[in-house]
Amino acid sequence: MGRRGTPRMEENVSPNLIPMIDIMFLMLLFFMLGADMGQRDIEDVALPLAMNVKEDKKAEGKTKDRLTVNILHQLHSETDCVARLNGSACLNEKHWRIAVRGQDLTDPEKLNELLKEEADLRRGTGPDQKSSDRRVMVRADGGAPYGLVQDVMTACAQVGIYQVECGAARPVPDKPVPH
Amino acid sequence: MAGSSNIGEETDNPVAINATAMVDVIFCLVLFFMCSFHFRELEGKIETWLPKEGGVITGTVEKKLLEDICIVIDWDERTNSASRRLGNRPPAKSDGELITLVLEMSADHEKLGKKDFPVVLDVARKVPWREVVHVMDLCKKEKLERIEFAAPAAKPLVGAR
Repeated sequence: MGRRGTPRMEENVSPNLIPMIDIMFLMLLFFMLGADMGQRDIEDVALPLAMNVKEDKKAEGKTKDRLTVNILHQLHSETDCVARLNGSACLNEKHWRIAVRGQDLTDPEKLNELLKEEADLRRGTGPDQKSSDRRVMVRADGGAPYGLVQDVMTACAQVGIYQVECGAARPVPDKPVPH
Repeated sequence: MAGSSNIGEETDNPVAINATAMVDVIFCLVLFFMCSFHFRELEGKIETWLPKEGGVITGTVEKKLLEDICIVIDWDERTNSASRRLGNRPPAKSDGELITLVLEMSADHEKLGKKDFPVVLDVARKVPWREVVHVMDLCKKEKLERIEFAAPAAKPLVGAR
């Protein structure tokens, strides 16, 4: 007589992939829409923090009536900056660069030339010929020495640009302002 | 069993799509976008103005009854810290002390009927920009909107005021 037992049931244990694929699609869509692949005027700069700043709705850096000047530290491999490596402020002006639309304009002559061209785009007529309505946004790293910002402002004043905006980031409420 | 077929089970549905490759690709894409994604910081701006005439004053200079509100920011390399003082006064020990002095002076200007007086920042080249922005932020907090920068001493032709 053969053995009698309970009939063997084959259980289907393959996972249902449909909800996972749905979630993956949603995540993919979110990250694809959130990622900014466009050409931007703005560089990756650690802006200084300030509570009382006007919200800049044109911070995407794609405005036509404003020129964005970035002041950022050069790569560590290019400078071997010990101060930056230690997390303190690097006050060596040679370690910093001024960039506009990805172009290096640390050379004052090149900067003046570009600012003059930009100022001429919206130069006043008649008695107001000296001044230009072109606006400049200075986006300087919080650790950058003021001298570089001063150079940009001086160059702006020389070509008649008088409307200068200083970029700053509003701190996240939980994080205290480092002072 | 009806309604329990999964993607990839060829036994139930002979024309089922093998989704494994697609899942792999989606995983890679999600990983790429997750790694490259960064949330945009809320950026703001502090407006300042430079002189329309390049800072060169021609003609007679107005006689001043009160000194300008001038915040001098220096950099002490020994202590690696910024020292801030109002005009020729001794350095302020805190933000509160500095802004109290500034408000006292601005009250004096207001008593004389002046409303559009500037706060001039005279900053040494080596001072980190964040220290300057911090002082500007303090002024903005107290509704001192007109912030100007002193011209560099070495270049007399340009006056950033």
